[in-house]
Amino acid sequence: MKPDWRQGILYLTTIGMEGCWLYAIIELLNRKTAGGHLSVLVLLLIYPLSFGFNMLLQRLRFPRLCRRSLSWLVWAMAMLLVVKVQLYSELKWVDTSWLLAIPRSIGELIYGFKPELLILISTGVIWWLGRRLASRQSSFAALVSEFQFGLVMLVITFFVASQLGVELISPVTIAMAFFFFALLGISVAHAMEGTSWLSGLYQGHWSGLLLISISLILILGLLIASVVTPDLLQLFWTAIKWVWGVIWGLIMKVIVFLASLFPESEPAELPAMPSMPPMEPEGGFNFWPIPKSVQSGLRISWTVLFAGFILFALWRVSSDIFRWLRRKLAGMAGAEFEPLPGAFRADLFGFLKRILFKLLGLRLAFRIAARSVSVLPEIASVRQTYRWFLHWAATAGYPRRVFQTPHEYLSLLAGLLPEAREDLDLITQQYVRVRYGASLPNEDELRRLSQSWHRVKQNDLKRLRAHHTGD
Amino acid sequence: MIDKVSKVANQETSPVTQAVEKLVNNVSKVIVGKKDTIELILVALLCEGHVLIEDVPGIGKTMLAKAVTRSLGCTFKRIQCTPDLLPSDVTGIHYFNQKTSEFQFRPGPVMANIVLVDEINRATPRTQSCLLECMQEQQVTVDLETIALPRPFLVIATQNPVELEGTFPLPEAQLDRFLLRVGLGYPSEDEEGAILCRFQQSNPLDTLTNVIEAKELLELQKLCRQIYVSDSVRDYVTAITRATRCHDGIRLGASPRASLGLHLASQALAAIRGRNYVIPDDVKYLAVPALAHRLISKTEARLRGHSVETIVSEVLSTVAVPVEE
Repeated sequence: MKPDWRQGILYLTTIGMEGCWLYAIIELLNRKTAGGHLSVLVLLLIYPLSFGFNMLLQRLRFPRLCRRSLSWLVWAMAMLLVVKVQLYSELKWVDTSWLLAIPRSIGELIYGFKPELLILISTGVIWWLGRRLASRQSSFAALVSEFQFGLVMLVITFFVASQLGVELISPVTIAMAFFFFALLGISVAHAMEGTSWLSGLYQGHWSGLLLISISLILILGLLIASVVTPDLLQLFWTAIKWVWGVIWGLIMKVIVFLASLFPESEPAELPAMPSMPPMEPEGGFNFWPIPKSVQSGLRISWTVLFAGFILFALWRVSSDIFRWLRRKLAGMAGAEFEPLPGAFRADLFGFLKRILFKLLGLRLAFRIAARSVSVLPEIASVRQTYRWFLHWAATAGYPRRVFQTPHEYLSLLAGLLPEAREDLDLITQQYVRVRYGASLPNEDELRRLSQSWHRVKQNDLKRLRAHHTGD
Repeated sequence: MIDKVSKVANQETSPVTQAVEKLVNNVSKVIVGKKDTIELILVALLCEGHVLIEDVPGIGKTMLAKAVTRSLGCTFKRIQCTPDLLPSDVTGIHYFNQKTSEFQFRPGPVMANIVLVDEINRATPRTQSCLLECMQEQQVTVDLETIALPRPFLVIATQNPVELEGTFPLPEAQLDRFLLRVGLGYPSEDEEGAILCRFQQSNPLDTLTNVIEAKELLELQKLCRQIYVSDSVRDYVTAITRATRCHDGIRLGASPRASLGLHLASQALAAIRGRNYVIPDDVKYLAVPALAHRLISKTEARLRGHSVETIVSEVLSTVAVPVEE
C-alpha cells in the first residue's frame, strides 16, 4: 500500500468525520432558523472545495499573507454564491440586492438569527476546517483528537435537538457514518505509524482484518441501536426521575424534621402603620429601563455562557471516562493503549483559543507557546514508541524510576535481557536523539525502530516477567 | 531549524573530540590512569571555567595541573601560596622607575593564560580575595587602573583538605567561582607500579610538549557553546540546583552561577563525548563536581556523616529526569 494513498484515506476520513457532526449541527440550526429550507449538503460541498483549493494554494509558492487573503476571498465568493442559490434563486444575477443580504442580516442580528447568517457562519467554519486540514499532516494523534471532539459535538447536538423537539434526519445513519470514518481513519493512521498489530505479524492480511474489525464494530453498533429504543430510554429516564424524587423526598423530610427541632417564635404585634397615600400608577414606567437590543445581547451572552458550561461539563465527564478506561487498560498485561493525555482538552482549548484570539487579534502573543507545544509526526512517533516501551517494562515489574535517565534504564533492562540489548539500545538511542537532540528520524530509522520494538515486545516480555518473579 | 542545528553541530563537534583525545593522550604520558579527572579538567578548559583540585598530598595534583598546562600552547604562571603572600604579588604593582621618573606597572603572575595557584588555602583571605575579580570578570584592578587578562584565562588551584594548620579555608564567594572541584584519589596497585616505572629514568613532564594552541582552544570553546540544549534538559539543570536550596541538610544551596556552570559544563562534556546535544546523563555526571563545593551543609548533617557529595547524590535521586511518562 502506497503511503500517499493511505494519506488520502486519512484526509477522506477526517472530512467524513467532520462532515458528520457538521451536518448534524447545521441541520439542527437549519430547522430552527430557516425552517429546513436550506440544503445542508450544498453547504457541506464547501468543505472539499476549501480543502482542494487550499491544497492547491499550498503548492503555489505565494507569500503567506497572499495565500491567506486569496483563500478567504474565494470563501467570500463561494458564500455569496450559496446565498444566491439557496435564498435568492428567484432574483436575477444582475439584480444586486441579494448582495446586501449579509450586511442586512448582521445589522438585524438583535431581532433574530436569519438564514443568511447561518450560511455566513457555517461556510466560514467549513472553509476554515478545510483550510486547516490542507495545511497539516494527518496523524494517529490528530485522528483520535478529531474522533473525541466530533463525538462530543454529536452528543451535544443530539441532546439539544431532543430538548428542542427537532427531529434530525436519520441520526443513526449519521452516527454510524461518523464511527465508520473514525475507525477507518484511526486504524489506517495507526498502521501508517507502524505501531499497531496491523504492521506486525498480520501485516499481510491487514486490509482483511481491518475490514472485519470495522464490520464487527458497526454490526455491534447497529445491534445496540436496535435494542436501545426511545421507549427504553424513556423507561430509564422515568426510573432516574423516580429515584431522584425518592431522594429529594427524603432530603425534604430531613429538613422538615430539623426545622421542627427549633422552637417557634411568637409572632410579634406590630404597631399599626399610618395609611400611605395610594401610589399613582404610571403607565409604562420601569425603574431601570433596558433597551431591547441590550436584552437580546444579554440573552445571547447568557446562552453562550450556559452552552460553555455544558461543554465544559461534558469535557470533564468524557475526560474522566477516558482516563478510567486508560487506567483499566494499563492494568491488562501486555495490552497496548494509547496514552494521549489531554488530547481532547488540548484540541478543545486550541479550538477555543484560536477563535478567541483571532477575534481579539491577540494571537501573536500566544504564537510562541503554540510553537513549543506542536510536535512533528516523526518525533511524536518515536516518543510514542518509547512510551509503549516504558509501559511494557513496567508491566513486567521494572518500571523506570523518576530519577533514571534513559541510558541508566537501558543498562538495567539490558542486564536482564542481554540477547535483546541491540534492540533495547536502538529504541533508547533513537528516543534520546529525538527527545534531547531535536533531530528528525528518517524513514529508515523509524522502520528499524518499529521492528526493534516489535521484536522486544513479542519475544521477551514473558521471560522478563519470569525472571522477575524467579520462576 | 532542527536540521540546521543538527548539521552545524555534526560538522563542528568533531574537532572538539579530536582535540580532547590529543590532550588526554598527552597528559597521560605523565599521569597514569585518572582519565575521568583529566576529562573533567578539560571540560572546565572548554568552558573557560576554573578548576579546584582537592586531595591529599602526594597524589599528583600539581603534576596534573602542570601536565595540562604544558599540553596547551598558552602562557603559564605559577603562584605558590604562602601566608605572607600579598595581593600585589598576585595582581602586579606600580613601581617608581627612577630612570624614567615615572610609575610603571609590573604585571603579576595572574597575567597569564593559565595560572596554577598551588596550595591556595595557604594564602590569607586578603590575598585569596584578590582573585575574585580575576576569576569572575577576567580583569584585574590595580591602583584605579583596570587591566583585562589575556584570553583564554584559566585558574587551576590545588588545595589539601587534610592538613588545616596554617591554612585559611576558602570563602564561599571564592569557591563559587570555581566551575568544578575534582579529586584524584589514590592510584590502584597496577597504576602505582606504572608510576614507579615511568619516573624511574626521568620526569616525563620535562619532555612534554604542547598539542593545542591558545587560538585553537578559543575556537573549541566557541564550538562548545553551540551544543544544543533542549528546554527539558535546561529545566532539569535548574530543578537540580533549586532542589539543593530546599534540602534539609543544606544551609546554603547552589547559586544561579552554579546553574550556569552546570549548563556550560554539560555542553562541553557532550561535545567531548561526540554528541551535538546535551542529555540528562551529562548533567548527572557533572552535578557532584560542579555543585558539591558550592554548598554548605548544616552542622547536623555533618555530624551524621552526610557529606555535600552525598547530599548532591540524594538530590539527584529525587529530581525527575525529563522522560516520557
